[in-house]
Amino acid sequence: MNAIQIENLIRDYGGGKGVFDVSFHVDHGEAFGFLGPNGAGKTTTIRHLMGFIRPQSGKCTIDGIDCWSGRDKVQARLGYIPGEISFFDDISGTEFLKFLEEYRRIGTCSRKAELLERFELDPTGRIKKMSKGTKQKLGIVAAFMHDPDILILDEPTSGLDPLMQSRFVNLVAEEKEHGKTILMSSHMFEEVERTCDRIGIIRKGRMIAVDSAAALHERHTRSYTVTLENETAAEAFTADFDGVRSGIRVTVAAKQSLEEIFMNYYGGDKNDQHDII
Amino acid sequence: MISMTLYKREMKGSVKLLVIFGAVITLYVSIIISMYDPEMMKMLDSFVDAMPELMAAVGMKANAADLLGFMVSYLYGFILLVFPMLFCILRGNALIAKYVDKGSMTALVAAPVKRRTIALTQLSVLLSGILLLVFYITILEYICAGSGFPGELDLSALLSLNFGLLCLHLFIGGICFLSSCIFSDTKYSIAAGAGIPALMYVLQMLANVGGNAEKIKYCTFFTLFDPDGIIVGESNAAAGAFLLFAGAVVLYGIGIMIFDKKDLYI
Repeated sequence: MNAIQIENLIRDYGGGKGVFDVSFHVDHGEAFGFLGPNGAGKTTTIRHLMGFIRPQSGKCTIDGIDCWSGRDKVQARLGYIPGEISFFDDISGTEFLKFLEEYRRIGTCSRKAELLERFELDPTGRIKKMSKGTKQKLGIVAAFMHDPDILILDEPTSGLDPLMQSRFVNLVAEEKEHGKTILMSSHMFEEVERTCDRIGIIRKGRMIAVDSAAALHERHTRSYTVTLENETAAEAFTADFDGVRSGIRVTVAAKQSLEEIFMNYYGGDKNDQHDII
Repeated sequence: MISMTLYKREMKGSVKLLVIFGAVITLYVSIIISMYDPEMMKMLDSFVDAMPELMAAVGMKANAADLLGFMVSYLYGFILLVFPMLFCILRGNALIAKYVDKGSMTALVAAPVKRRTIALTQLSVLLSGILLLVFYITILEYICAGSGFPGELDLSALLSLNFGLLCLHLFIGGICFLSSCIFSDTKYSIAAGAGIPALMYVLQMLANVGGNAEKIKYCTFFTLFDPDGIIVGESNAAAGAFLLFAGAVVLYGIGIMIFDKKDLYI
């Protein structure tokens, strides 16, 4: 049984918006990157997984439990970072985390202290006054502190500075080592490339590619063989361009970054361009 | 059945409103009860003679027989209807629709807590507020009447009167709660939750003026709360209160069901 399974999910908002016949799965202990530009249907798909909305047709299950009808059972094992953080802004971060601990009945196994330290977060201020990045950190602590088996992260690093982004990527990598299942949506290629085993690309509500990160790379690798004037030039060329030399012939491979791969799938549509970068 | 953690948080959110409305009600109730005085009654009656429509519209009628009749005339037509109603509107909207509108409902539903439990908890917060207000009104009236005019107040009649008042406000609370559950937008939740009770109240004022307008009373649920009938023990008045109570329970049930089934775009 797959940890996360989405089968032929359809939700039509009209006007070409929504998700259309989306299917993919995430195995136990796997990190899955969910890429797509704004408005492609990432958040809509995640809302179905969270049991916030009911599929018009198709099915979402987590560990075999239906995400809509069994949502409270599913939620017990889930950690979620919403795409747009909006917590109770009438209280302080400390009070909010304490509320969640009691509300979720986490008890003493909370990882709150460790996570607060890791992200250098001081939650004593009012949530209303917090900056976007601080709220995002609070969202991360709230999602990880009950030590869930399955993590659904909707653009989890938005608003974080590069240092905190890299700490987050490390956290995700550690969780994966501990056998956690991770679904991470993003339009940041870096973090997906560094953390995810497989990547699914969604565009205009349809999955256009699902493959391992390595396979996506391989498919988009081109190699060139260059003949140089003499061996000295060939040696220098080999060193500079990380190639393979045989005599005066040097073979170099140009790997497209995930970003370029992404652009290949999206390239034709000018409307998407500004979202991707 | 309900989440105590959420209940405690929300009751804290109710305190400020309860204190404000409690203070306003204290002011009016104590002043009006202290105004009970046969001489003053004559003056008020002369107002009623001078402008019967206006006084009738706000539920004030001439020749209130005794202290309780006086209270019914001058408190149960406006003050004790409108202030608890405002509480229902403000809290009812804040308990569900505001969370959904602002997106902070995420924190409540992204946890192993059933949506029915969340809705039921928020409903109990609203009901607790209404109960506290009506309970406070009863105590306040009893103390004010007892200190100013010992022995003049019929306690059991006061209790049944305020039980009727409670049923009315439970029903109004039901309307606010239901609209909060239906609409994901505060704008519409307030429009329905405040608009319907306010419109009904205006219709009730028109009906009170009498004449041809009296037929309007069949269009408003305020007619079901009949204070004069309740204090003399009319069975129709008791049936009206019961209808309000039953209606309230139905509204709560529908509200919880709708919230359980609805799509949350959060």
